[in-house]
Amino acid sequence: MADSSITRVDVLAKALGKAKYTDDLKFDNMLYLKVVRCPHPHARVIGINKEKALAIEGVVAVLTATDIPGLPCQPKERPILVPEIARYAGDGVALVVAESPKAALEGAEAVRVEYELLEAVFDPEEALKTGAPLVHGDNNVAAQSKVCKGDVEAGFKEADLILEREYNTHRVEHAPIEPEVAIAVPTFEGITVYCPTNSPFQVRQIVAETMAMPQSQIRLFQPTIGGSFGSKCYDAGVLASRAALAAKLTGRPCKIVYTREESIVESTKRHPYKMKYKVGVKKNGKLTAMEVKIIGDSGAYKSKTPFVISRSSIEATGPYVVPNVHTEAICVYTNNVTSCAMRGFGSPQVAYASELLMDELAEKLGIDPLKFRRINGLKDNSLSATGQVMQNVTLDECLDKLEQEIKWSSRKAELKQQDKTGSIVKGLGLACMYRGESFGSAGQGSDYAGATLQVQRDGSITLYSAMSEVGQGGHTMLVRVVSEVLGIKPSRIFVSPVDTCYVPDSGPTVATRGTYVIGNAIRLAAEEVKAKFAEVAAEELGVRPEELVFKDERIYCPGDPSKSISFSRIAAQCYLKSKSPYGYGWWSPPVGSWDREKGQGEAYSSYVYGACAAEVELDLDLGKVEVMKFVAVHDVGKALDKEEVKGQIAGGVSMGIGYALMEDLVVRQGVVKTVNFDEYLLPTSLDIHEIIPVIVEQPSSYGPLGAKGLGEPVMSAVAPAILNAIADALGTRVYDLPANLEAVLDKARAAKGRCCND
Amino acid sequence: MMRFNYFRPASVKEACKLLNQHQSEAKVIAGGTDLMVQVRDEDKKLAGMKTVIDVSHINELRYIQEEGNVIRIGAIVTHDQIFRSPILKSAAPLLPEACNTVGSPQIRHRGTIGGSICNASPAADPVPALVALNAEVKLESVRGERVVPMVDIFEKPYKTNIGADELLTEISFKRLSDASKTAFIKLGRRKALAIARMNVAVVLELDDQGIVTEARIAPGSVLPRPGRVSEAEEVLIGQKPTAELIELASKKVSAVMIERSGVRWSTPYKEPVIAVLTRRALNQALGVE
Amino acid sequence: MDKVKVNMFVNGKPVSLEVKPYARLLDVLREDLGLTGTKEGCGVGECGACTVIVDGETVNTCLTLAASMDGKHITTIEGLMENEKLHPIQEAFIKHNALQCGFCTPGLIMSAKALLDSNPNPSTEQIKVAISGNLCRCTGYEQVVDAIKEVAEKSK
Repeated sequence: MADSSITRVDVLAKALGKAKYTDDLKFDNMLYLKVVRCPHPHARVIGINKEKALAIEGVVAVLTATDIPGLPCQPKERPILVPEIARYAGDGVALVVAESPKAALEGAEAVRVEYELLEAVFDPEEALKTGAPLVHGDNNVAAQSKVCKGDVEAGFKEADLILEREYNTHRVEHAPIEPEVAIAVPTFEGITVYCPTNSPFQVRQIVAETMAMPQSQIRLFQPTIGGSFGSKCYDAGVLASRAALAAKLTGRPCKIVYTREESIVESTKRHPYKMKYKVGVKKNGKLTAMEVKIIGDSGAYKSKTPFVISRSSIEATGPYVVPNVHTEAICVYTNNVTSCAMRGFGSPQVAYASELLMDELAEKLGIDPLKFRRINGLKDNSLSATGQVMQNVTLDECLDKLEQEIKWSSRKAELKQQDKTGSIVKGLGLACMYRGESFGSAGQGSDYAGATLQVQRDGSITLYSAMSEVGQGGHTMLVRVVSEVLGIKPSRIFVSPVDTCYVPDSGPTVATRGTYVIGNAIRLAAEEVKAKFAEVAAEELGVRPEELVFKDERIYCPGDPSKSISFSRIAAQCYLKSKSPYGYGWWSPPVGSWDREKGQGEAYSSYVYGACAAEVELDLDLGKVEVMKFVAVHDVGKALDKEEVKGQIAGGVSMGIGYALMEDLVVRQGVVKTVNFDEYLLPTSLDIHEIIPVIVEQPSSYGPLGAKGLGEPVMSAVAPAILNAIADALGTRVYDLPANLEAVLDKARAAKGRCCND
Repeated sequence: MMRFNYFRPASVKEACKLLNQHQSEAKVIAGGTDLMVQVRDEDKKLAGMKTVIDVSHINELRYIQEEGNVIRIGAIVTHDQIFRSPILKSAAPLLPEACNTVGSPQIRHRGTIGGSICNASPAADPVPALVALNAEVKLESVRGERVVPMVDIFEKPYKTNIGADELLTEISFKRLSDASKTAFIKLGRRKALAIARMNVAVVLELDDQGIVTEARIAPGSVLPRPGRVSEAEEVLIGQKPTAELIELASKKVSAVMIERSGVRWSTPYKEPVIAVLTRRALNQALGVE
Repeated sequence: MDKVKVNMFVNGKPVSLEVKPYARLLDVLREDLGLTGTKEGCGVGECGACTVIVDGETVNTCLTLAASMDGKHITTIEGLMENEKLHPIQEAFIKHNALQCGFCTPGLIMSAKALLDSNPNPSTEQIKVAISGNLCRCTGYEQVVDAIKEVAEKSK
């Protein structure tokens, strides 16, 4: 590594409070927006009376769908403003534009909308029934995905034990601490939009479509982003479009910033799933067949549902060898708040179900749960559920490290001896995960990234990409790659802010593709610079370019110390000799074959693996669970920065603890009830105890410098490890998330009742 | 969007004058940790509010003192100040313990004991402790002052019978005897920033023989109005507190909860758990694990 | 709605303002004084992104009326640097990767500062309590605690 202790490029401004987030920006003559939302889950807009609102001092305009010059929405997508039918209690109907935030708020309260209430549907299973109210199309099916391998019926016949279980996961909120915000500034050439999104080019596209303007005339500038976790993609596109619309129509800068309540009511969530598993296993622990039925709630609009559900179906068996698989996943429209991408993107739900299932199978067969995972775990050359020959599989290494770190067997034995007569009991549980990196062949869209480097005359470098720094250290990762390839200090490299006017399209920063795809693009860009510089240096030094090494800020011949020249000198020489000091990289992951009908083929070109263990302390009389210790082992390919890896893991574990135990977005009859952080509960510092990150480094054959993505994988195994630990402590299982006070107490009392009757 | 006028009186007298002038159009603000949330939500409770009277600058209301065996706390003393008070630590340890479980450090630095009472949230953490201390409150107005048992001012959740012209200025209670045993337990869904799912405060006094001479049991978030559960207390009074009696008393608390609050969606959880919390609080007070 | 006169000290400097009676301290800091380091994440005192120090104690500025700040000494994140030098807490946050998206960071740093000013030698538990009113969605708090611990140990 060039310099493993470099400071992250974005953190100084943040620590000083000087980083400019979108809401910190001010423009002269700025107007403020407030959205009028439909309070009903399903309604037809009959009329909008703006009069009272317009009479309020400071209100400049009230905009509705008819003011939109372009598309109010793509088919089945969430509208910028509802043209006719509102499909969830949160759909935007009108936009009040005013001189101050207060006037905008008062204006929004004064807009009178007349609705015709339509019959609504909230349960995905109900929504599939004939005669159910239709949200879209003629059957409410948002997306389906299948994976079929072998013959499950034959597989079940071979089995010594067949287990059928149902698991339910709940709806949760991304909850970045920065709520959604956008500012649009009309310019002579077009519109500049300031928006914290991790999909700058997608947001630009949505704005261009809304405004019926060429994409090149929309300039999307990305200020500092206050977290995303998947929430600032389509949601940001809607906000940005609303701001752009108002800016264009008023000719003035317009800011739209959501309160936390607006954010929670309107924004997308993680899909809730109902999952039915049927699995066959032999006495020796070998899995023979698995049948999985998933039904997910897409909510009111399509969004990324098709891609989420396809990932879920691919990963539904977990990282295990299952000879016969039949997975059918379906997502359904309802009049609930929309589901979309959230950290893990369809992985956490199926990891939850499959890992609880593995644990219970192990228990039924009397096999140690860790050993059970080894028996069935993917190995090099194993065939995955999609029939892919797996390579570079590191599940066993992850399990080895987990076993050592938590002292699995001895700790298990100790806990077995614990006094279980009191109200406090402890439990230890584990879970594994695997996850395909980036979009994959199954069709999450085309996957590519461009990135550019310009070496300046003084040897400093400007790096251009659309990598969104959401706090994960993405910019620093790019700097490391360039610094490594060119053998220069990271401090030479300046990362340009993301501005669609200047940076190449690197695709969105999602799907664990930042390091993998954008990292590779910048590697190629750096290699291009290297080749160009080698030519110039070779000429200067009178050697062949192949003889040169780039290291320690110099370009030199390892054999001959006198043949050496500084990097900056060559930068200057390039300009002097009119040679290009630019590097451009374009990379797209290898795409494997994919049979959509059967869900068979090379789903992803690269996978990451992990194994986690949780030790919980459970208060049987209160139903209260505390995660006292969490060990998270992840294969990161190559740790570009250990502190950052630790931060990603700790953050993901903390989010997973929230997912497992306390976070719960309550929706009743389509209306979100937990609208702020007093009711939607995120873990605090006192709820998080010991988190031990453990790194496995098996260099990736594709990732830049061998690195793999980490942001999303860290979520997947957390909740199942905790639930398995709860089961270990209780002797009975909670199958549905969250394992909150009520759910755990209920099981604890039932278990106690049973044991007293014995 | 609520707009209102603002007054910052420097004395109780001045505040009372303002309250008399504005009557029900005025709301008192001290720390603002409850009121500012209600302002944001345009809470129905604030309907008709045109003025806030900020009492946080009335320095004469910032004291914790002991006179004879009576402890007096000025209404604008913060939760954090109560937590740090050496007097309260010895005179009524359950109160600082309760105040230290309120919200977060930021909330405890601003939120006041008087505000916590006047807001009348059923989940307020200091309130059960004050109930168990048999606290009284002093209400002042241009008409004069009155001192009433604190429990008498609560009408229903978020509603008190404090007059529109009255200012709650002081909370007082008798110092607990050295022989008193106390405990406060709170259960939340998380360990900070938690609204009490339930809480319970207990005070016990035992004589030389180990017989309970006084028992006060005050659960929070389970009764329609804050108060003690005499049915449970009576189980213990005059008895040696055996495990069986403690269990019986604890179960009385759940029975009384159902009697007074009825059966709700939360009852299947609350019914067993309030008994557990009470049992634990009693055991903790008695030093039994 | 008459404006209210407020004389306060912000980051050591006297500030005299006329504020709306219902203005929150958060808005006055961000809008009137341009101190945008203080953030709004929830508006109801849960997330702590708007934390500043008032007379030595942390408060949520979203729940504080600006009008009530007469005579108070307020420190915001912008007041931490002295002579263009990073405050040791800021240094430690950077070193320990105690921030990711950074939105909650100013609030967390203010909570850390208030703690260390009043208790230079806190236990791990005391550190966790001191930051328990600051929600962080990125870090899981571990490195934040490490950073504060290091500052405390260095000052020994």
